[in-house]
Amino acid sequence: MSRLDWAVLIAALLFVVLWGLYKGRGAATGEGYIGGGRDHRWWLIGLSIVATQTSAITFLSTPGQAYVDGMRFVQFYFGLPLAAVLLSITVIPLYHRLKVSTAYEILEARFDLKTRLLAASLFLIQRGLAVGITIFAPALVLSVLLGWSLHANILLVGTLVMLYTVTGGTKAVAWAHSSQMLIIACGMLLAGIMTAHRLPAHVSLSDALHVAGGLGRLNVIDTHFDLHSRYNLWSGFIGGTFLMLSYFGTDQSQVQRYLAGSSVTQSRLGLLLNGMIKVPLQFLILLLGALVFVFYQFHTPPLFFNPGPVKQVMAGPDAGAYRALEGDFARAREHQSQVAEAYVTARHSGDPATIATAKGQLQQAHAASEVVRKQGVALIEKANPGTNPSDTNYIFLAYVLSSLPVGLVGLVIAAVFSGSMSSMSGEISALGATTVVDLWRRLIGGSQGQREVWVGRIATFVWGGFAMAFAEYAARLGSLIEAVNILGSLFYGTILGIFITAFYVKRVKGGTAFYAALVAEVGVVACFKFTAISFLWYNVIGCVAVVALAWCFSFAQPAEVQPCS
Amino acid sequence: MPMIEPVPPKAEPPPPLLGSWNRLYAVVVGELLLLLLLFLIFTWAFS
Repeated sequence: MSRLDWAVLIAALLFVVLWGLYKGRGAATGEGYIGGGRDHRWWLIGLSIVATQTSAITFLSTPGQAYVDGMRFVQFYFGLPLAAVLLSITVIPLYHRLKVSTAYEILEARFDLKTRLLAASLFLIQRGLAVGITIFAPALVLSVLLGWSLHANILLVGTLVMLYTVTGGTKAVAWAHSSQMLIIACGMLLAGIMTAHRLPAHVSLSDALHVAGGLGRLNVIDTHFDLHSRYNLWSGFIGGTFLMLSYFGTDQSQVQRYLAGSSVTQSRLGLLLNGMIKVPLQFLILLLGALVFVFYQFHTPPLFFNPGPVKQVMAGPDAGAYRALEGDFARAREHQSQVAEAYVTARHSGDPATIATAKGQLQQAHAASEVVRKQGVALIEKANPGTNPSDTNYIFLAYVLSSLPVGLVGLVIAAVFSGSMSSMSGEISALGATTVVDLWRRLIGGSQGQREVWVGRIATFVWGGFAMAFAEYAARLGSLIEAVNILGSLFYGTILGIFITAFYVKRVKGGTAFYAALVAEVGVVACFKFTAISFLWYNVIGCVAVVALAWCFSFAQPAEVQPCS
Repeated sequence: MPMIEPVPPKAEPPPPLLGSWNRLYAVVVGELLLLLLLFLIFTWAFS
């Protein structure tokens, strides 16, 4: 990185931290620290919600996903606007009316303490583990591509986040989120413009999209119903809606964002803003990945984007074979570039037969270079047994470092740091809030005054420290990291089922919902272990199982149900 | 604790734009359907 890149990166990080510290000062009560003073406007809530769910690895991996697999990942978010509307109608007015600080408080009012503690504990377990991965994964990418120390990276992100999150609580997190979203938006927008600009002069945007589409990278919609396919229209709409209902309705890292709203109106508008911008935002990030793919049709990419495993191959007995493959790949890609040029020329001729022939040749050339790439990946797997042979997370940043101008590299890396910090701050703030409200305040009976601010700070600090320690340990977890990443979908359906039972199945009492949730969770884990069902469907299975089991179990409980009042 | 009942939208003050929450919800769902249509056209046009 150049001095200008360093200057941009340092200035951006200082801006985020100082802005968060400045705006988060002065929390005098536990409610002010955890609830952010409940005076946030809709746009601040909306930005904070988007920032919490935009982790750095999503930001690094999404363009890479479009490069490798096309744009169908956007379907994952189709349930989000529907969930935003449903939650605006149902839970937001309820949470405001009951003046709760965490989502789980409601469960004690409706059922009993153990159901509240079960839901809060499921959140603390899955979110507590996931937050470590949130900072580990981008730190790993940065350390591999830039040669930075992994430990220093984790320590830097964790320390910066804790500076403003521990001191200022929810208000500091929300205001820091607004500055982080500004950096992320500027970085991605400029990277997109520059990528389009760096295509060969005679390749228009329309040509670029036809090249990407001809090679299967603009497959936004897949209408085939397949339980084993990870992203299609149906898993996005059905599974995605259940996932988003649970994430935005019951996950404290999101609930805390809109509970800071000054009124039901402000909270609703914030959540609906997120519902309106998330799908087009993901589309644009994926489109950036597709443009990077087109860029590499006219420039030769590396055989494998992650240099870490390549070093392992080069240090072993297959180094010669890998070098030979690199030569084959370079030649195959050079031929592919010529064919891509011919396709663009054919498109400009306007003759349908010539275009069809050139497109077929481009597809053949791409398939031939992919065969060589797969051989390279096989050598990498052989030299690195047990590691994930995917370089998806490395593609975008490798492109940025090799192809974008000085200054913009620093801004994009600042955007990666911002993504890492925004999700970590929202998550440790929520973990601290749940620890204080659902454990300390409820079980120990603490007050809501200045003492609770300090308890909140200690809890947030401890969760931040845990996240950093887990991130350090994550390097040794290997393939278990993937399991941690889908941990959310293992629990979200069950938690949503508990809440839906609380709201809509009146005849169910406390113990019944608790035991139904435990049985349903065993069922979801069994699906994960023994079936090939795609993870988005676990949300549907868990939720439906809790509601159905609780309803069935309720016939074995005393007939009279006392409403909570 | 009060009864846990979802509050009907009519009990809330209207949003600052469009006059009613139902209209605003229709805009959010309508935007999703429009995006879906545009994505289908996009997939078809460039595949």
